[in-house]
Amino acid sequence: MKKEIKNLDLTVHSKTLKNGLKIYVVPLENVNNTYVTYSTRYGGKDNKFVPIDGEEMIEVPMGIAHFLEHKMFETEEGIDVFNFFSERGSNCNANTNSKKTTYLFSGPNAFYENLEFLLTYVESPYFTDENVEKEKGIIEQEIMMYKDNPYSRMYEDLMYNLFINHPLKYPTIGTKESIYKITKEDLYTCYNTFYNPSNMFIVVTGNVDPDETIKLIEKHENKRKIKNNNVIRLEEFEEVDEVYKKEKILKMDVTLPKVAIAYKINITNSNMDIHDIYSYLLNLVDLKIGTTSLFTEKLRNQGLITDTFDVSGVKADKHLILMIDCETNYPDVVLEKLKEELKDLNITEKEFERRKKTGISSLYFMSDNIYKINSKIVSDIMEHGEIDYDPITTIRNYKYSKLKELVKTINLDNYSIIKVLPEN
Amino acid sequence: MEYQKINNNAYNIHFIKTTKFKKIRIKINFKEKVEREKIVYRNMLSLILLESCRKYKTKRLLDIECEELYNASIGSNTTITGNYQLLSFNNVFLNEKYTEVGMNEKTFQFFLNLIFDPLIIDNGFEETSFNNAKNYLLEDIESYEDSPMRLATSNLYHEMFEGTPIEYRVCGYKEDLEKITKENLYEYYKELIKNNHIDIFVVGEFDSNEMKKIIENNFNINTIKKPTTSHIINHNKFRKITNVTSCPKNINQSILLFGFKLDNITEFERLYTLAVYNSILGGSPDSKLFREVREKNSLCYSISSTYSGINSYEIISAGINKKDYNKAVKLIKKEIKKMALGDFTEEEIKQAQITYIASLKEIEDAPSSMISIYEAHEYLGYDLMPEREKNIVKVTKEDIITLAKKLKLDTIYLLEGVKENEKGN
Repeated sequence: MKKEIKNLDLTVHSKTLKNGLKIYVVPLENVNNTYVTYSTRYGGKDNKFVPIDGEEMIEVPMGIAHFLEHKMFETEEGIDVFNFFSERGSNCNANTNSKKTTYLFSGPNAFYENLEFLLTYVESPYFTDENVEKEKGIIEQEIMMYKDNPYSRMYEDLMYNLFINHPLKYPTIGTKESIYKITKEDLYTCYNTFYNPSNMFIVVTGNVDPDETIKLIEKHENKRKIKNNNVIRLEEFEEVDEVYKKEKILKMDVTLPKVAIAYKINITNSNMDIHDIYSYLLNLVDLKIGTTSLFTEKLRNQGLITDTFDVSGVKADKHLILMIDCETNYPDVVLEKLKEELKDLNITEKEFERRKKTGISSLYFMSDNIYKINSKIVSDIMEHGEIDYDPITTIRNYKYSKLKELVKTINLDNYSIIKVLPEN
Repeated sequence: MEYQKINNNAYNIHFIKTTKFKKIRIKINFKEKVEREKIVYRNMLSLILLESCRKYKTKRLLDIECEELYNASIGSNTTITGNYQLLSFNNVFLNEKYTEVGMNEKTFQFFLNLIFDPLIIDNGFEETSFNNAKNYLLEDIESYEDSPMRLATSNLYHEMFEGTPIEYRVCGYKEDLEKITKENLYEYYKELIKNNHIDIFVVGEFDSNEMKKIIENNFNINTIKKPTTSHIINHNKFRKITNVTSCPKNINQSILLFGFKLDNITEFERLYTLAVYNSILGGSPDSKLFREVREKNSLCYSISSTYSGINSYEIISAGINKKDYNKAVKLIKKEIKKMALGDFTEEEIKQAQITYIASLKEIEDAPSSMISIYEAHEYLGYDLMPEREKNIVKVTKEDIITLAKKLKLDTIYLLEGVKENEKGN
């Protein structure tokens, strides 16, 4: 199928193969480079599930999705994956978050060879007791690196303190204890369950011939004999609105205190879906306390903060997490003022419309960059299962009146706070 | 793509015209010899000029205007490149083809107003803007050592390059900041506008004559500038015995650094041989260091090497567990020795060259990296892309061995993580 993304000079060529794998190709003649991502809907939160050949729910050690990503770079023939791409002037990498794992490469040369190899190595797991053991020291050092970063620590501890049953409670990377429990059998179980073509998709953006690209992938996939595993059963859980722990103080070797507050917002009272709520609410909060707000201006002029607040959100099924953090020498004063400010969630229609204008502009900015186009498509697929072919209209359709309705359903009573304070 | 340089005596204009992008990127550089006590002045200007201007009196109003200009972005920073310091201002906005006619000029004019029409009261910068910029910079200076990697690198520079601009901290120093007033900063600003070397880079699809007119209407400067000397810092003191040193910090992971000084290298080595050498040793995930220290021995997650042609050094860094210090040092030394003995293949050289050429092609896909190439050409006399492509393939195995012998190991530094291993929550 060939379909245009309206007004952005982008055309998407797409196909769903017999084995369930979805392909999206966006050709851009104007660039030298090409970027490919191959993703599975499998991440750090997916530790309790029914394996592809089993009936019973099982539990695997935390951190296994990320561990598996590291181990996919082992090949039976001993081909060094990094070396393969680098010989062709390309970069390759991979990343894992709580919901997804992605393998990627980019480069201006040898596109078909690179693509064929990406498919081959992601589809050929090779785990041995020895190579699994070897990875533990490397990942232990990666964990240590994050432990020394105050922002990673704040995020990790906040997620732990916000949730009770939700798997987002635990870090994607796992813990030192959990990763040392991982075996090669665990890795094969996870691989076979979640790396099924029906759970995966490929996005190609850059200087390519879309028909040839799809043909190559299809030919490669037709050679595989693999059972289409349409439905993966994950353990269900109930998450209450209350948080696990209201406050934590973390002492670290930092000069300037850092503080974050995360609100756990039940969104089931609104008739909008979580993605729309996310857009409305994050823009609203940014207008209330972001760089264009009187609130920030006042706090800066009083010397309470010197930079601005970071605002981010996490979608957790029935809850939306709204996170706000900043650096300040006056963490308690700033927190009180923040909570007070957010008691009133009203903004003017003019501000709302201005925010829509910047949203539309961002789409144009995105549309000449192969990395940004690719990641927009990946997030569309992850969130909606399909591409938004008219994103400008999507933004135009945001209505001030809907925001007013939404605000009535928002309750900010449940939150967790973390303060990072200097050790001495 | 089409490049045009216009020398207007008091400043240079560089037009890089291309139809590849929907945006236009403008960068304005003010350049002068770096002086330790002046670093904070330049940082203050980089902040305060984006705090307010005569037309938009607070940062809030200024940020609202950016949003009104179809999400135009403005930014600034200072960098030390060898003997010089740059103060740079950036502006990125959508080409008016995608917004409204007249927006190119309107947005560029807004950007120029920030730089040339600041909010001045009684011969000094306006007080609130001044305080906000100063508070921000003070925190930046005070928290400089919070990042373990930055602290380790800074300590290494101090061991290796004491008294040269390489060891200067780019944020500047607290004692200098304390001396700044609204008035003396404004004096410095006027000096800077008059006497600094100025280069303006514009990338995108635009009408050159129109752009030139906007620039000439705003740059009312006619001072003839002194010719500049070289940015490049060469070394003449080398240690006979490697300096091995460490410093404790209350963190989990230790950071191990190896610092080398380059002895009497040629211009070709600086730009090409060094790039190939570094790529083979530790510049990529298929480098010798990555394979040996991480993949074969599982001693670290991150290990890499970087180089600076301008500052004539090469540095290796690795995040390790302190108990593995001796083993890691031994392995790294072994790989360095292999380079000097020529224990690497033609394949590895070829691969490094292919990677280099591929990255040249990528440069054309991003306006900011295109500017970097022309900056290096302007300031350092470095080759442009076609010459680079031709020259990189000339690097031979003998060249790399010759260069390897000019790398003088100066210091092995460990930022020692002394925190007891922490458990999770």
